[in-house]
Amino acid sequence: MLGKLALAGIKNRRRDYLVLLAGLTMSAAIFYMFANLATNQAFLKANAAISSANIIFGFGAVLLILITVVYIMYANSFLLSMRQHDYGLFMMLGATRKRVGELVFLETLILGTIATAIGLGLGLLMSKFLVGFLLNMLGLHLSHLTAVYVPAIVATGVLYVGLFILASLFNLIKLTRTTVLKLLHSDELANQPKVKPLRQMVQGVLGILFLAAGYWALASIKALQLAAIPIALVTITLGTYLLFRATILMVIRTLRHTGWAKKHLNGFLLGQLNFRVHNYTRMLTIVSLLFAMALGAITVGSGYHRQLPMMAEKIGTYTVAVHDKTAREQKLIDQLHVAHQATYTQKRQGKTVYYNASELRQTPVELRAYSNSGNMNDQKLYTESLKKFKKSGISDLDFLSLALGKVGAYSPKILTAKQFAKQPGKVVTVTTVRVKNLQQDLPALKKLNKLETARFSQPGTMTVGNYQNYEMMLAFFGGLEFIGYFLGIAFLAMLASCLMFKILSGAPGDQRRYRMLYKVGVRESLMRHGIAKEIGILFLIPGIMGVIDVLFGLQMFKPLMAAPMSPYLGIGSTFLIFIGLYAIYYLITLALYWRIVLPQAPND
Amino acid sequence: MTTNTVVSVSGLEKTYGKANERQYTALKGLNFTVDSGEFVGIMGASGSGKTTLLNMLSTLDTPTKGDVVVNGHDVTKMRGNQLADFRAQEVGFIFQDFNLLESLTAEENIGLPLALKGTPAKVMDQAIHEVAETLSIADLLQKYPAELSGGQKQRVAAARAIVHHPAILMGDEPTGALDSTSARELLDLLTTINEQQKMSVLLVTHDPFSASFCQRILFIKDGQIGSELRRGDQDRSTFYQGILTELGTFNE
Ligand SMILES: Nc1ncnc2c1ncn2[C@@H]1O[C@H](COP(=O)(O)OP(=O)(O)OP(=O)(O)O)[C@@H](O)[C@H]1O
Ligand SMILES: [Mg+2]
Repeated sequence: MLGKLALAGIKNRRRDYLVLLAGLTMSAAIFYMFANLATNQAFLKANAAISSANIIFGFGAVLLILITVVYIMYANSFLLSMRQHDYGLFMMLGATRKRVGELVFLETLILGTIATAIGLGLGLLMSKFLVGFLLNMLGLHLSHLTAVYVPAIVATGVLYVGLFILASLFNLIKLTRTTVLKLLHSDELANQPKVKPLRQMVQGVLGILFLAAGYWALASIKALQLAAIPIALVTITLGTYLLFRATILMVIRTLRHTGWAKKHLNGFLLGQLNFRVHNYTRMLTIVSLLFAMALGAITVGSGYHRQLPMMAEKIGTYTVAVHDKTAREQKLIDQLHVAHQATYTQKRQGKTVYYNASELRQTPVELRAYSNSGNMNDQKLYTESLKKFKKSGISDLDFLSLALGKVGAYSPKILTAKQFAKQPGKVVTVTTVRVKNLQQDLPALKKLNKLETARFSQPGTMTVGNYQNYEMMLAFFGGLEFIGYFLGIAFLAMLASCLMFKILSGAPGDQRRYRMLYKVGVRESLMRHGIAKEIGILFLIPGIMGVIDVLFGLQMFKPLMAAPMSPYLGIGSTFLIFIGLYAIYYLITLALYWRIVLPQAPND
Repeated sequence: MTTNTVVSVSGLEKTYGKANERQYTALKGLNFTVDSGEFVGIMGASGSGKTTLLNMLSTLDTPTKGDVVVNGHDVTKMRGNQLADFRAQEVGFIFQDFNLLESLTAEENIGLPLALKGTPAKVMDQAIHEVAETLSIADLLQKYPAELSGGQKQRVAAARAIVHHPAILMGDEPTGALDSTSARELLDLLTTINEQQKMSVLLVTHDPFSASFCQRILFIKDGQIGSELRRGDQDRSTFYQGILTELGTFNE
């Protein structure tokens, strides 16, 4: 009988349940995808470049587990907030606590198991298609990436079902400890937090100090090494929490006494925030940190993607070297935006390659000055007289690479025009091209390089020209970049859903309040705007804090992305995309909230 | 229509349930008027349609048939925002369960109708303090509803209902959740407001004691006005006896 009643209760709110189920399903799917990448040994071994990023995967996995725990906590509280009124009613009607407890336990567990099962299925599908899509977009190829990996399935299943058993136990304990009356009227209690000015001042100052310490730690990662990350994590968390506690309430209090608060629903909005923000502080702290991590991960990932060509450009002298160019290759060269081009005739005999001095005099070989400053912008290109070149420039690695045999480079020798004419040997012409902007000419360069490497095999460990350099770095940093994107999107999805569930848990209580406003004669549009503002502020606070965290946090990547690369370059577009995704979550939450909370006008 | 009629109801019908469902007609052709400055009570057995009637008058629900004119506005013709604005400006409500927003202080609760109109802060403060004096709740203004007793809450609710000088004050069992002392205080206050500010009051109640504060009582039976009782020059206790007698014959 009770089971039937419970089922009827669920039916009444099936749309809310669907949201909950969808959120949990997505979370399980994301977790599976990540677990698949992080634990798949065959995949990790096959991608040497990525295995160096093993630490990052480990770090990411720990973070993801943490978020999952927090996420399920909030999803569970949303579930409880929907159900406690019903449970209270059952108890009032005489159902024993034990019976209701069983019901709660089963309900939570069944929901969780269904979500995990569907989530795993979805995760398998996403691993198959989405990951491939993401890799494609980044121009990466990772081998041995399989969609179905049993250990990852087991890990996901165990973690999720385990967490849901914990959540069920938590609900059980919570319900059996709470009085029936409290369950029935749980949403009518609005505790008004007390404000103690001195304490708040101290909290605020401490918060700022902690934040400063955290940002300092991130900026001086060179000195602190790996210790910087845990230090920053702890201090920034504490700092954000304290700062929120100290300031948000104070700002709301202050606003409440202004004339602005006495216009339309503003006073109501502030009142709502006032008693809501207090128990949101912890939540907002977590969310702002997650926001920062997600945004940071994506920013760094896309930073590498965009800036690798810039870095490659500053290493070596020419972009590509084409030997005995064909008509097709010439066509491709014509498409390039050439900054510098040179053609030399080689005669190869034995282990020696001979050059014509008059050709070298006419178009001297470009050389690069490598400096110790670490700033690649200081590494200028220059040319030198033939006499000087014969002594030093001739052993430049880029110059040597112009004549590569099966075993290695031919040793170069420069002959006068007369001697060169008499010199026997296999004649090869080589054309070097340096483009103005590597990024701009990538497609043509890719084709050109393909044609060239198809005709001339070179030792696998060597690269010729900075286009090949770029390809090698892409393979190396591509792993990092991929993880950045992946973690970023996963974090964003989970953090925004956390916030969503937390806010939605308050909706049943708000229903009554908006019903009152409706009776008092508040226009629906005014209520809509009020809700949009309220939820908007709750989304905005962690968003702003998160952006600030990221701006400081990127300091950490400065040593990794030496000039001319910079972690700050071109972050605008990344931020925009990220904020766009975040905004979508806001709109979904808003739509759900409106639907739950706004009173239905009588229909005639 | 004369200007001194605040409420005029004619041929009011309300049927609950959709056409294809089981239907129930709660009001069957109701006719009555309330004059400006009048204190009218509405009585009737449980389920007789009192709340239904009040919901029609206050636009919280729409009639199936008939006309309702409140302070010159034809309520049945209004839509959307007009309805909300009508509720905000023309009527004041007191509910049995107070309907105070517990996230706002008493002062902010009282100020809400004025804030909705966009009243300047200064004017608003003055109006709030005026009604607070009238209802002797001036020292409670900074408190939250959770910190108030039932009687105090209802006085705050009454203050919110009249702060914007509506054409008519409506109450649905406003004394229902109060003990007899608080109930009496509230009824005295309503009488004072009615006399001093010439505000019309429409009070729904099933309690003869509460009803005895009215000038005229309408008895609803089977969805229609069954009978009517006028206080005239009687003092309250005589009128109270009269109501009891009427209820005795009415309910037999
Ligand atoms: N939303 C509704 N749907 C269907 N029937 C309703 C609805 N609201 C009220 N009724 C019915 O209309 C009749 C009148 O109800 P109403 O609430 O007006 O009674 P009342 O006079 O206020 O009673 P009480 O003194 O108990 O508050 C009742 O029989 C009730 O069952
Ligand atoms: Mg009623």
